[in-house]
Amino acid sequence: MARFIARRVVQLILVLLSVTFIAFGALNFLGDPLVNIVGPLAAIDYCDEVEAGLREDSYTSINNSRGDCEIIGEAKADFGLDKPVIQRYFTWLGNIITGDLGTSFQTQLPVSEIIAQKLPKSLMLMVMAQIIALAVAIPVGVYSAYRAGRAVDRATSVASFGLLSIPNFAFGVIVLQFFALRNQWLPASFDDTSIGTRIHSLILPATVLGLGIAATYQRLLRTDLLTTLQEDFVHMARAKGMTDRHIMTRHALRPSLFSLITVFGVSTGALIGGSLVIEGIFSIPGIGSEIVTAVVRDDFPVVLGSVVVIATGFVVINFFVDLLYTWLDPRVRAS
Amino acid sequence: MGDPQLTVEDLYVRFPTSRGTVEAVNGVNFTLEKGQMLGIVGESGSGKSVTAKTLMNLLPRTAEVDGNITFEGDDVRAVAKERRKHFWGVKMTMVFQDPMTSLNPVKRCGEQITETLRYHLGDDKATARKKAIDLLEQVGVPEPAKRVDQYPHELSGGLRQRVVIAMALACEPSLLIADEPTTAVDVTVQKRLLDLLDGLRRDRGMSMILITHDLGVARGRCDDVAVMYGGRLVERAPTETLFADSRHPYTEALLRTIPRIDQPSHTRLEPIAGRPPELIDPAEECAFAPRCRYAQPDCLGTIPPVGGVRGQHEFACFHPANTERGRQALDANLAAGQTVTGLQIQANAGVN
Repeated sequence: MARFIARRVVQLILVLLSVTFIAFGALNFLGDPLVNIVGPLAAIDYCDEVEAGLREDSYTSINNSRGDCEIIGEAKADFGLDKPVIQRYFTWLGNIITGDLGTSFQTQLPVSEIIAQKLPKSLMLMVMAQIIALAVAIPVGVYSAYRAGRAVDRATSVASFGLLSIPNFAFGVIVLQFFALRNQWLPASFDDTSIGTRIHSLILPATVLGLGIAATYQRLLRTDLLTTLQEDFVHMARAKGMTDRHIMTRHALRPSLFSLITVFGVSTGALIGGSLVIEGIFSIPGIGSEIVTAVVRDDFPVVLGSVVVIATGFVVINFFVDLLYTWLDPRVRAS
Repeated sequence: MGDPQLTVEDLYVRFPTSRGTVEAVNGVNFTLEKGQMLGIVGESGSGKSVTAKTLMNLLPRTAEVDGNITFEGDDVRAVAKERRKHFWGVKMTMVFQDPMTSLNPVKRCGEQITETLRYHLGDDKATARKKAIDLLEQVGVPEPAKRVDQYPHELSGGLRQRVVIAMALACEPSLLIADEPTTAVDVTVQKRLLDLLDGLRRDRGMSMILITHDLGVARGRCDDVAVMYGGRLVERAPTETLFADSRHPYTEALLRTIPRIDQPSHTRLEPIAGRPPELIDPAEECAFAPRCRYAQPDCLGTIPPVGGVRGQHEFACFHPANTERGRQALDANLAAGQTVTGLQIQANAGVN
């Protein structure tokens, strides 16, 4: 067990190093934070030309007492952008290790504070969505496998494919329109007043997300169950006179959960920062929308901080999924 | 002797498929007396496993079943709802071919035994566990107290099949159907398992149906042997009669495929020529005719009905082996060098 955890920690470190390195590089090559900090002059060769004596530093755009290039240069130094990318990456990495995620270029707030504020909302949405997904998919999957080919199975197949084909934003808008705007059954936007209002206002978005994943889970579980139901031990259990319910839940379900929990792990990771469309539709100030804003504005520290959090979440969740495998199948334990 | 414990009358089982209807079982009749052991012998696709599954109510929903099955006064195909709950698994139960797959890999062996005890007999956890250990001991599992907490993958094939047997016997059924119980285990373990089953059966006065493709397995253990071919019962007789004086050409051919200790060593075993019969929409003829050395024109016109001495030695053949009619048919075919179906036969084959 100790070795298992140690391996996972090493894996986490490797994942974080490569993910942040790629993110860091991509951000720096594709965008320039200075443009958003001091204005469009930072993006063109203006200062290079001033330095080369090709033109004069005019006193126009931002502050008429000092030259623009002077200001841009100051900003560069303030935000550490005057150093080479590699050096900045390692500086950033060093800070991360000491627990400092940096400060936002835009708001000047510490990144850790921004994440602490946004992440819980996204996590809550994700957890609620997964609970709804499992609560729907497992019973429906079991029943549709039990009655494969019958009316209920066909109906759920159609419903599943429907849910799989409809994009989140379309489904979200329909649900919002019907349940929150036309009939005021549930709130249309996030309400941060208390834990109760938070849960209450997340019901709709979590249902939209959850049903989408539930459709995938249901298909996987149904297929795996149909395979398991062909197994001799299922016939044996029937020959022993066990009830259908007992056979489905106590014999067939557990060995049929592998695909489902694999996808569960992957989708949980993806949902941590990936539910931005739903966050947008239901006005949830979560980490997903925060990342989009930060990327658009080249707010590197916020983007990188979020990447670290999400990648860590991904690896940690899949660590637990691997633990689940060993719980599900004693043969895995032995190897 | 009174009513037999199990009566199967005119059993038909069909599976509609996209290629046509598979006629898996075609009018099978047999009875089983209490405490007797019946062997059902046949090759793959002969309908023996489907017959067993019909008895156990294990057929897929698509199967079309017709006929009467009576077991200890109950109509097996229409057991009353409140009796259904504790019918299969309690009164009759089944052991499958492959012990590697007939145990649930994610449940402890003990739990797979106790779940029946708890459900059918309402035993509490501790009682059921004690009984499970006792059962494992009875089927010859060493260190039973340790085994109940082990998972199937921790046991060898032979031990697993013993666990399966213990599982099947937990509720003391009066009929055990064993579907090729030793096919998947080591030859050295086979005999021990069969002897174990036979011993347990005698101790408990339990009836048993032993399904096998190996006549040798049936010999010496079964009271009666029924031979199935193409979904029909082609011969049925007390075991020794069947071995000494078989009537159906298929039985005779099967006997030639097993080595015998009274033959000189290196005696050639004779394979049965041809392929197993087509079960999808079969022709109205004797299913064995294309492979039969005795085949005559009348074999192709109608399906031979089951004749012989009812309850003693029954067989379904117009030209039975070891009879005058059979000898004439065989001599005629040998003279022609082939049968009516075009099967090439040689004079030296099989005539002692």
